[in-house]
Amino acid sequence: MKTLKILLLSFALTLGAVAITVYSGFVNVAADEPHSDLVYLLLEEVRINSIAKAAKSIEVPDLTDPELLLTGGADYEYMCSSCHLKPGQHESDLSLGLYPQPPNLAISSQTDTANDTDNFEATARNNFWVIKHGIKASGMPAWGKTHDDQRIWAMVAFLNQLPSLTPMQYQVLTAID
Amino acid sequence: MKSKIYKTTSKFALVLIPTLTLSLSAIAHDPSLHVKKAEKADCSKMDHSKMNMKDPVAMAMMKKCKKQAKKDHKAMDHSNMEHSKNEDNKKLKKDHQ
Repeated sequence: MKTLKILLLSFALTLGAVAITVYSGFVNVAADEPHSDLVYLLLEEVRINSIAKAAKSIEVPDLTDPELLLTGGADYEYMCSSCHLKPGQHESDLSLGLYPQPPNLAISSQTDTANDTDNFEATARNNFWVIKHGIKASGMPAWGKTHDDQRIWAMVAFLNQLPSLTPMQYQVLTAID
Repeated sequence: MKSKIYKTTSKFALVLIPTLTLSLSAIAHDPSLHVKKAEKADCSKMDHSKMNMKDPVAMAMMKKCKKQAKKDHKAMDHSNMEHSKNEDNKKLKKDHQ
């Protein structure tokens, strides 16, 4: 009986704490005010593990066809570069203003969303999943609603090459004729 | 009277100066940064001797530039230009007759 009382009391207290947090307005949702390190770490872990689990069964097609780079390049320039930048660019309004800050995909160390950064296939399938489904409350849209899988794989192929591109190569690959 | 005008002016200045400063800083950002224009590939800087033709990036660049060169060539269709010239000449001749 005593245990039940303690359990009920704990439950009521937890519920009260949640209600206060939700309705008090104390939680700062401003994008220019970063999370605490702990909250950031937890959210980051949730994101990484969620993507890895969801993308696990995706089969990566052959991404070496040069034509994929041309399709993916043009799409990247128009859909992604404002936030994820391009070779030679270090910041943009969106890369500075969004929180969490969008990764600079033109730099090799930040292109990976996989746990194992050396795993090319895992990176490719994770990137495919993220582009297709987006990420909640991060500013990353679900491009799969308007783009078919083939087009998204082309973007993945382009992302694989992006960190090694010079500004000149980027310009040629992404230009629309 | 003068002091009243002075007071009113200083009040306006107190409101106007910060407002102007803030609005100017808001438009100081270059709007061209937000404009995305379709631009042609700049193939003039490509150094073919340094390119590895087995590299997918080099292959894609070559493909893009070839496609662009073909389009540019089509855009300058000489046969059409000659044809239109002849048409113009015919018209001119008719007019003179």
